[in-house]
Amino acid sequence: MSRVHYGTRAVSRFSRRRVLTIAGAVGVGAATAGVAGLSLAGETSSSNDSAPLVISLRDAKKGTFDVFSGESKVTLTDKKLAARLLKAVKRA
Amino acid sequence: MSSHREAPEISKDPVADSSDLYAFVSPDDPDTVTIIANYVPLQLPASGPNFFEFGDDVLYEIHVDSNGDGRPDLTYQFRFRTELRNNRTFLYNTGQIKSLDDKNWNRRQFFSVTKVDKHGKHTVLHSKLPCPPCNVGKISIPDYEKLAEDAVHKLKTGEKVFAGQRADAFFVDLGAIFDLGTLRPFQDKHLIGKTLFKGPGKAVNATDQLNVHSIAIQLPLSAVRKDGKKSVRGRDPGAVIGVWTTASRRQVEVRQGDKKNADVEVGPQVQVSRLGNPLFNEVIVPMAQKDLWNSLPPTEDKRFAEFVEQPELAALLPVLYPGLFDNLAKLNKAKTPRADLLAILLTGIPDGIIDNFQNFTGETQADMLRLNTVVPPSKEPNAFGILGGDLAGFPNGRRIEDDVVSISLRAIAGVTVPLVDEKFKPDAAAALVEQGLSAKNLTSKPLKKFPFLGTPFDGFDNPS
Repeated sequence: MSRVHYGTRAVSRFSRRRVLTIAGAVGVGAATAGVAGLSLAGETSSSNDSAPLVISLRDAKKGTFDVFSGESKVTLTDKKLAARLLKAVKRA
Repeated sequence: MSSHREAPEISKDPVADSSDLYAFVSPDDPDTVTIIANYVPLQLPASGPNFFEFGDDVLYEIHVDSNGDGRPDLTYQFRFRTELRNNRTFLYNTGQIKSLDDKNWNRRQFFSVTKVDKHGKHTVLHSKLPCPPCNVGKISIPDYEKLAEDAVHKLKTGEKVFAGQRADAFFVDLGAIFDLGTLRPFQDKHLIGKTLFKGPGKAVNATDQLNVHSIAIQLPLSAVRKDGKKSVRGRDPGAVIGVWTTASRRQVEVRQGDKKNADVEVGPQVQVSRLGNPLFNEVIVPMAQKDLWNSLPPTEDKRFAEFVEQPELAALLPVLYPGLFDNLAKLNKAKTPRADLLAILLTGIPDGIIDNFQNFTGETQADMLRLNTVVPPSKEPNAFGILGGDLAGFPNGRRIEDDVVSISLRAIAGVTVPLVDEKFKPDAAAALVEQGLSAKNLTSKPLKKFPFLGTPFDGFDNPS
């Protein structure tokens, strides 16, 4: 939900650190690489390397991923990555 | 209600829930149109210490269609950002708030305004404008009206904008209407009510003494008309605009628990709320499709035309009020498609049906609030709008004083059928049916100038 900003700048202890987390629920939402944005809703720049990136494994069997970045969504297929993720969450 | 709790999912997300939309030629500046979109409905004024606010994670938009295709030719986007001055207090304000930059005001909200033209070009008109505070109470805010006036901003590009708390001006006897369609003035005629009541009852305005958060914009008529015309004839299709509002959230949200500032919101905006004509989603669309309707653009509304052609409420009236709607019952039985309602709600009223009036936008069926921008503001507005002979009122746009509940009830009851079928004789009750409320019942009176909605109820005195 909403982030609250202190003064005129957001407090973000993670603003320059890229974090990769493999989420447990494959098929619902899989991986996040995230930092807090400093901008207003919907104004996050997708060209920023430190901007959030979320990968969702939509169809584990086909290896179909949705990659959410900035205001965009890209769909790609990678069966090997899907298999690795399934193994990581012990569903394979 | 107009759209306060109109669909199952959005009723659980009031920050993104549009409750009312108004669009009218401005009585304080007739060369402009005023559009007001209300969100965050049903606010109890005494709601400290965490008073109501817009969602920093919600994209609020007002759309204008100038050529009748149900797609936006002009969109204004509003994004919000909350700032705390002091992270060591639980208080909204630590002393009196006397100005928009008062140091005693701890939790402030700002907004940006972005204009999107018909080619999709985005222009940020202003990146940081202050909202007024919520009306905490007269001890905290001695002169609320002054603060609200200071929060009306004139942009360099000519638009006037305001975003913040106002009194909800919608009036509806919600408790009675959703108690099996009871209208208190006719409660003794109701199927079940006649066993309980010996006479008419007095209506109750369920939304009185409650606040909303309003986004209001006033802009030149030429800015919204097709081809930017300053002058146009009333019969010209270019005189008519379609207006609707939407709220969207990012497709993905990842919560980090105690690392709140690392929460992630990313991906395309997904529309979660929409509002054009009052009551469309509320009483026309079946509950099973209300959430879907909220997610769709107006261009998809042909999917819902069947519910306009045969509205459920029209079938209920003869049952709930036995003997009062016999002609309507015959019309229902014949399954005659309600061409009058299709025009009012989905295409606009073509020229030649009502003297000196049209707000037709073409064959595309789309739920938009249609406004013929050539019709000047009325000096003495009639709450029944066009049904009351006042061409400046709903369903030609919508003004604050329009009794949209009663207008819609009368239309559904059959008074507008003769517009398309001269042989049809509406039931006598159809022209009399009303909820028994008017803008005169509003405790906080609407203003005569932008942003028009009345001063929000303060937390010290409300509820009282």
